Amino acid sequence: MQVRDYLIRRLVLLPFIMLGVSVIVFTLTRFTGSPVGIYATPNMTPDEVAALEARYLLDQPIPVQYAAWLGGLLRGDLGWSGVSVAPVTEVIGVKMAATLELAVAAGLIAILAGIALGTIAGVRRNQGPDHAARLFSILGASTPTFWFGLLLLVPFYLWLDWFPLGRSTDAVFASIEHPTGLYTIDALLAGNIVAFGDALRHLILPAVVLGFGAMAIIVRMMRSSMVEAMSEEYVDAARAKGLPEGVVIRRHARRNAFVPTTTVIGLSFGFLLQGSVAVELIFRWPGLGQWVTSAILSGDQATIMAYVLITAAIFMIVNLAVDIAYAYLDRRVVLGG
Amino acid sequence: MSTIETEATAPESAGSVRWARRREVIAEVLRNPLTVVGFVIIAAFLLMALFAPLLTEPNQPDPYQSPRDWANIDSPPGEAGHVLGTDSQGGDVLYGVIWGSRLSLQLSLTVVLTTVVIGTIVGSIAAMRGGRLDNLLMRIVDVFLAIPELIFALAIAAVLGPSFRNIILALAAVFWVKYARIIRGEIIRIKQSEYVAAARVVGDSTWNIFRKDVFPNSVTPMVVQATLDMGNVVLIGATLSFIGLAQAGLTEWGAMVSAGQSGLLAGEWWVSTFAGLAIVLWALAFNLVGDGLRDVLDPKTEGR
Repeated sequence: MQVRDYLIRRLVLLPFIMLGVSVIVFTLTRFTGSPVGIYATPNMTPDEVAALEARYLLDQPIPVQYAAWLGGLLRGDLGWSGVSVAPVTEVIGVKMAATLELAVAAGLIAILAGIALGTIAGVRRNQGPDHAARLFSILGASTPTFWFGLLLLVPFYLWLDWFPLGRSTDAVFASIEHPTGLYTIDALLAGNIVAFGDALRHLILPAVVLGFGAMAIIVRMMRSSMVEAMSEEYVDAARAKGLPEGVVIRRHARRNAFVPTTTVIGLSFGFLLQGSVAVELIFRWPGLGQWVTSAILSGDQATIMAYVLITAAIFMIVNLAVDIAYAYLDRRVVLGG
Repeated sequence: MSTIETEATAPESAGSVRWARRREVIAEVLRNPLTVVGFVIIAAFLLMALFAPLLTEPNQPDPYQSPRDWANIDSPPGEAGHVLGTDSQGGDVLYGVIWGSRLSLQLSLTVVLTTVVIGTIVGSIAAMRGGRLDNLLMRIVDVFLAIPELIFALAIAAVLGPSFRNIILALAAVFWVKYARIIRGEIIRIKQSEYVAAARVVGDSTWNIFRKDVFPNSVTPMVVQATLDMGNVVLIGATLSFIGLAQAGLTEWGAMVSAGQSGLLAGEWWVSTFAGLAIVLWALAFNLVGDGLRDVLDPKTEGR
């Protein structure tokens, strides 16, 4: 009951927090003065510039400008993306699908590796395997994704040519429909094994780089929940029943230790989103991150701001979803004993 | 423990108890070999930053731009008097790594110190005053936390324009929220404890209670977070300058990795590799120490 109230409160707060984010984003666009420069050209007369300002309401007080901007936002008008030479809303869906596919793949790698390492570390607490797992995961959190990505490109792309850059091979891309924008899923839906292999070959290297960085927080949480789970009575009870240690660890301790670990998966998604900026740049992955870096280099504010809004929205929705999943899992574990 | 008893004991003995406890904590922290490794790396970087002008001749007029050896472009390590080689502009890589440690120290110290102070002030006011002010401040914190750190800092730095100083500003604008939230949570927890209630009964003022009882007891998680952030800030700052938000040719490690990028794919591996290695070692050292401190100072996360 309490948990439900908490989740409802979070859900109610969500639009207000997004409103706050929109205020921050708007403030940033006005930080360097009037954005009329985006529309004006050097050979315009002052009258023409004034007409432009009037057209985009830039001669109005700031609150009026904000209201107009927010109104546009709510109608789905995110402005003009200079780098894509198209309205932001027209291109953002494709970019978002690319980034989500990469982030989810990296997240899966981080979760699987994180649970495995965290379990070993927790069971063999303060022994060699614990220190090794810990060092490995901290190393992941300490390695800049852009550098690790570059280092992996040298052997796997340059020398061996196992993994190509980008997101797909043009001919393969054209051979199937793309209803979801997630190329691996699209290939599966089309039942095309060649397209699936192609999508996977492009996806693996960036996903490993991104996942390596996101793993540390999961290892840490899994380890401490595992340490606690191993000292619980149900573990003693399972051992007393004469179950082999491996079964006790896998079926009893690890299953329960995983539940609190779900709470940090939402947090690690924030890492995946921000890490994707550099990873997409290195691997020429055509997602939100590559989009925003080219926008930064060409001073395209509409794209930068749309990017901040959309990533904040994704981050908050994922966190809420994780909390709901946790509430569900937690109740089931308590009830299931 | 009653207040009367504490009053009765001599101040020296209270102090010596505190010192004994501190010595115990230090001994426990140093028992973890990984933490010791972290401390050694940090000490090496500090010495490197401190003695940079003695290790290498400072470039004039700007020591944070590598001196150019145009006769030896893209030299591999060990050749032509360049221990770690040169980049495509003839910039000495070792020089960049050494002077980069000064920039990293400047970046991390400035950002961590300012954000700790701002976060402490905001969090303490929220917790001690409570009510509507607390609610308002915490909703602002919620909004800041809704945007992933690097993305927020990226947007701010992009608006301010490419320069290392703007990267520092952008990171300082983003990192304070975590501290506000930590200190607020700790203060609210400690406010409910018995010794604060005892101080209330004795009639201490709110400010005195805060200064003597609440604040010193809520510092621990801040110290852990600040240590971890000394590494995180450099990692995120390097990412921003790698993307192109620092000025060109700066002896900043992220910018150096970026400058060596095309060389790396042409077989000239040394520029990006050594600069990146410096970032990894820096972040790793602070993460190891922060992690070790957390285990000792904050044992409740160990068991949770």
